[in-house]
Amino acid sequence: MVAFRNTDASGRPTGLLLRCVLYALVALGLIIVDKRYDQLGQIRRFLSIVAYPVQVAVASPFEGWDWFRNSVTTRDVLRADNARLEAELRVAQFRLQRYEALETETQRLRGLRSSTEGVASRFIIGDIMDVQLDAYRERVLVDKGARDGVFVGQAVLDAGGVFGQVARVGQLTSEVILLSDAAHAIPVQVNRNGLRTIAVGTGDTSRLKLPYLSTSADVVAGDLLVTSGLGGGFPAGYPVATVIDVKRDPAASLADVDARPAAALDRSRELLFVWSKPAPPAAAPTPTTPTTPATSAPTPAAPATAAAQPKPMPKPAPKPAPEQPSGANDE
Amino acid sequence: MMRDTRIRRLPVMLSALVALALAILPLPGAVDAFRPDFLVLVVFYWSIESPRAGGLALAFIAGLALDVIQGVVLGQHALALTLMAAWATHLRLRVRVFSVLSQSLTIFALLTGYQFILFWVDGATGNPVTNFSRWLAPLIGALVWPLMVGTLSRLHDR
Repeated sequence: MVAFRNTDASGRPTGLLLRCVLYALVALGLIIVDKRYDQLGQIRRFLSIVAYPVQVAVASPFEGWDWFRNSVTTRDVLRADNARLEAELRVAQFRLQRYEALETETQRLRGLRSSTEGVASRFIIGDIMDVQLDAYRERVLVDKGARDGVFVGQAVLDAGGVFGQVARVGQLTSEVILLSDAAHAIPVQVNRNGLRTIAVGTGDTSRLKLPYLSTSADVVAGDLLVTSGLGGGFPAGYPVATVIDVKRDPAASLADVDARPAAALDRSRELLFVWSKPAPPAAAPTPTTPTTPATSAPTPAAPATAAAQPKPMPKPAPKPAPEQPSGANDE
Repeated sequence: MMRDTRIRRLPVMLSALVALALAILPLPGAVDAFRPDFLVLVVFYWSIESPRAGGLALAFIAGLALDVIQGVVLGQHALALTLMAAWATHLRLRVRVFSVLSQSLTIFALLTGYQFILFWVDGATGNPVTNFSRWLAPLIGALVWPLMVGTLSRLHDR
């Protein structure tokens, strides 16, 4: 700071070049450290706390307006809402009865297949804060952070389907990258026939692309794409998008497939953060395999990565290699 | 050195905070692409008008704030803003006597350099921005500049 006061007779700051180079080197150092070593999480978390008041101050008028509008709704509106919600709840409960049965059946079948597809186990709800992040990227700021157990890579859903995943976590807030961000890709499968592929964002909230399907792939407009659960980041079976357009150019080897996201990427206000269980080892009724490898990982950040590599459950397991289970039990 | 011994930092802080708030104010999607980089313009203004009040430290801190808020790699905006603010400081004696049009053109050049460094760092760190709306920002900034000077100089003179 002392360097500021150093000015020559004309008031021109001396050593402008020197200070410029100094600051630029610090900035370059930050970029490299942040990119290569990922050691700046703590600093960023602290800085995000400093930025929080500004973000809240900017968001508060909008929230205040929402609150005002909610508090002056008339009795009739409330009554109508109430009736509608009760009807919806009845339908939902009716569906849930079947769902419970299906869920157990799914667990059992998955156990039989020894699949490691994740199953969503716990949710928390976060509100999107009314602040603009980068204008050139599809990201939103949500009011749940490391304090609530949110972790990087966590799946985020809204009422319609998969919304995106957590890109960065602050202490009180987190950034969610939308499905439609040009840098985002999600493993999906066609619900109708189980065809697996990857849906990538386009930078447009109303469109995803499926660039890795061959022209002969069995996909038609109207197909529902659901998460495949491969890669472990997302729980399996949640709706991602609906195919809206399939263009097959006979000269090209890959089809040109567009899909519309199931989640209301540009309208949702509330998001669900999902914790998924890696695999259902308890549900697997196979007493001959006592190993159930590496499904420990009690930390909340681990399930996503633990499920990442699909483990072929070893069939010749009755005589397990002695060092592997003991190593797992030591911790 | 004899004439303004005390450097007034309050207007600098105030204008930077307001610009930061304007930078994250949510706007409807169509208007959003045309939002000027308020904080960058404010930093340029103080670099030209009163480099000792803000200086490169202001540029660096403002850049860090943009990094944190936009969630990009830490140091990206700080680097771009520091370099361009230094350039603006270097040019400031000339820029002050420029006509409005020439000033706007200078700002256009500075903003283009700023966007180019951002673009370069984006590419180098492996998450390039694929649309072209980024290159619209310098034009908008240059158009907004005269208004910006009008507002800020009133704050400055008082």
